[in-house]
Amino acid sequence: MRAESLAAVSHEGLPFWAGLVLVGAAVAGWGCAFLAFRRPALPLPVVTEHSALPPAVPTSETALPIEIFPGSVLLLDRLGAVLQANEEALTQFGDSVGAILRHPAARSALSAALRVASDSADDLPSMCSTTFTLDVPVPRTLHLSLRRIPAQHDRHTRVLVMLSDRSEAQVLDRMRIDFVAHASHELRTPLASLSGFIDALRTGGSSMNEGTRQQFLDIMAQQSARLKRLIDRLLYLSRVQAHEHQRPRDLVEVADLMAIVLGEVAPRFDEPGCSLNLAIEDDLTIRADEDEMVQVLLNLIENALRYGREEGRPFAVTLFARRAPERDDRWPEEGGVLLGVEDNGRGMEAHHLPRLTERFYRVVDKVEPAKQGTGLGLSIVRHILDRHGGRLRVASAPGRGTTCLVWLPPVGALPAENS
Amino acid sequence: MADRSHIVKSYEQELGQLRSMMSQMGGIVENQVALALSAIADRNEEAADAAARQDPDVDELEREVESLAIRLLALRSPMASDLREIVAALKITGDLERIGDYASSIARRSLRIRGADGQISLSGLRSMGRLVQDNLRRSIDAITQQDSNRAMEVWHADRAVDEYYTALFRELVTYMMEDPRNIRACTELLFIAKNLERIGDHATNIAERVFYAVTGDNLPAVRPRGAPATADTSEQPDR
Repeated sequence: MRAESLAAVSHEGLPFWAGLVLVGAAVAGWGCAFLAFRRPALPLPVVTEHSALPPAVPTSETALPIEIFPGSVLLLDRLGAVLQANEEALTQFGDSVGAILRHPAARSALSAALRVASDSADDLPSMCSTTFTLDVPVPRTLHLSLRRIPAQHDRHTRVLVMLSDRSEAQVLDRMRIDFVAHASHELRTPLASLSGFIDALRTGGSSMNEGTRQQFLDIMAQQSARLKRLIDRLLYLSRVQAHEHQRPRDLVEVADLMAIVLGEVAPRFDEPGCSLNLAIEDDLTIRADEDEMVQVLLNLIENALRYGREEGRPFAVTLFARRAPERDDRWPEEGGVLLGVEDNGRGMEAHHLPRLTERFYRVVDKVEPAKQGTGLGLSIVRHILDRHGGRLRVASAPGRGTTCLVWLPPVGALPAENS
Repeated sequence: MADRSHIVKSYEQELGQLRSMMSQMGGIVENQVALALSAIADRNEEAADAAARQDPDVDELEREVESLAIRLLALRSPMASDLREIVAALKITGDLERIGDYASSIARRSLRIRGADGQISLSGLRSMGRLVQDNLRRSIDAITQQDSNRAMEVWHADRAVDEYYTALFRELVTYMMEDPRNIRACTELLFIAKNLERIGDHATNIAERVFYAVTGDNLPAVRPRGAPATADTSEQPDR
């Protein structure tokens, strides 16, 4: 700092070389001062030999072969600074090691580990452990076990830390709580509107004119239908989940399946400007629960109609079934069958796609509340496909329509029993 | 204890001690913020208490860091980056202590927003909280690793926090206009949002100080700001 200000002064009054000399002198002066005072050369005979060891670089005699541990291992000094970390720890926890180690629970475990005395010279100091949860960058529950590594010199004491991730149980718990919260919220909304209108009808009584009364009753009918649909869907979802682990064994002809689906949805495409196309290859067989696969396709078509359709534009839905291409990285196995629903509707932004199968997730932007679905359709689809060992992929872009692809594994994957 | 090295500590060790205390303080403050947010989101009264209970620890650590820093300045005459680091530590503890205060204020307020359950969506506040937590984590990482790049990241990320605050402000005002019975809870939530925004600002301050300590340069005085206040947000309470 001072060197710079001197240089500035010199430029105004003195020739250029004088400035250089001054700057040089200042830099040299500071350099000397820096060398002389940076590490005070106090006479500390005992300390100097040890303090020559900077905390971050362990010398070969202090380094532990922590790479050999099958797990995430860190080596700390007694102040909690990381001396060594193995590859596993860096890949598993790299970004959050700092946040983990400074968590109050980890700090108190560290001081506990440093405090515990070993009974005799042969005994290892006992282990200290702690479990806590971090919110960021991703919510995770961590388990730390610490053990002091005794050293001759107190200051060289180190602590070995094993880190493990215990998030799974936590996540399941969280999901259950979220589900109950969401479900009750979703159920409450139509119920609140129902009871509101009931109150209005009761207090309004005879003074209410027939038109208003009819309007209220219509809304109530709509809301109670919504409530019923929601409960049906929830029950269906829980049924699907209940036998999620039994793979279906029946063989189903895709053509038969499509005939059932077509029978169900055809009336909804009667309106002008709304068409349903079929593109189905011959002789396709899948191993599936027929009712559930019908449900999958109905849900996908329902979504296309509900969220894709725009007023005043011809709307076309294509229902297709074909053999999966031989080499396709998107699916876990070679072969198999692709079923799909494609529309030319309004599409959606990419940021919705990863969340579509979440329960009660809805793309709300442009659909008026009365037309909104239960938010369970794709969640049901995902669970059914999980059971079938299948996959769902959704591709979409605003204004370019949406394509939902369902992949089902080749039939040979299970021993046929009833073919 | 018979060892002489305990009486005459080396400079390096004292510096290590200072860093350790800073990181400990950072850890407590982070935890306080996490507890305060869980007090709101999960209606966790225990977490609210726990957040407030840690205040004295933070104050105590602040005093310790201060006296150690002053001791280092007085006895060791540190130079260059060491000097900057120690001076920055003095100021950063101040920021951390304020963050702790805001966190316990949030925790206390969380106890007063009962009764509004279900009517007011807390998801905006939750996402804002996560963002602030992440910024705080990165700025404390920047302190402990003396990493100017991380500091820069935080410095730029605060803009998103400001935008969240503006959006939340509007949302809460709408709730209040819809139903006057919401006013009480919404006012508390407004203060909570403001406190979160302030925590974000302090995290940015920390990032600025770390940047200075590491590089010796100052970041520009004008920070990238959130969306400029429009007509309906201009009357937001500024403290």
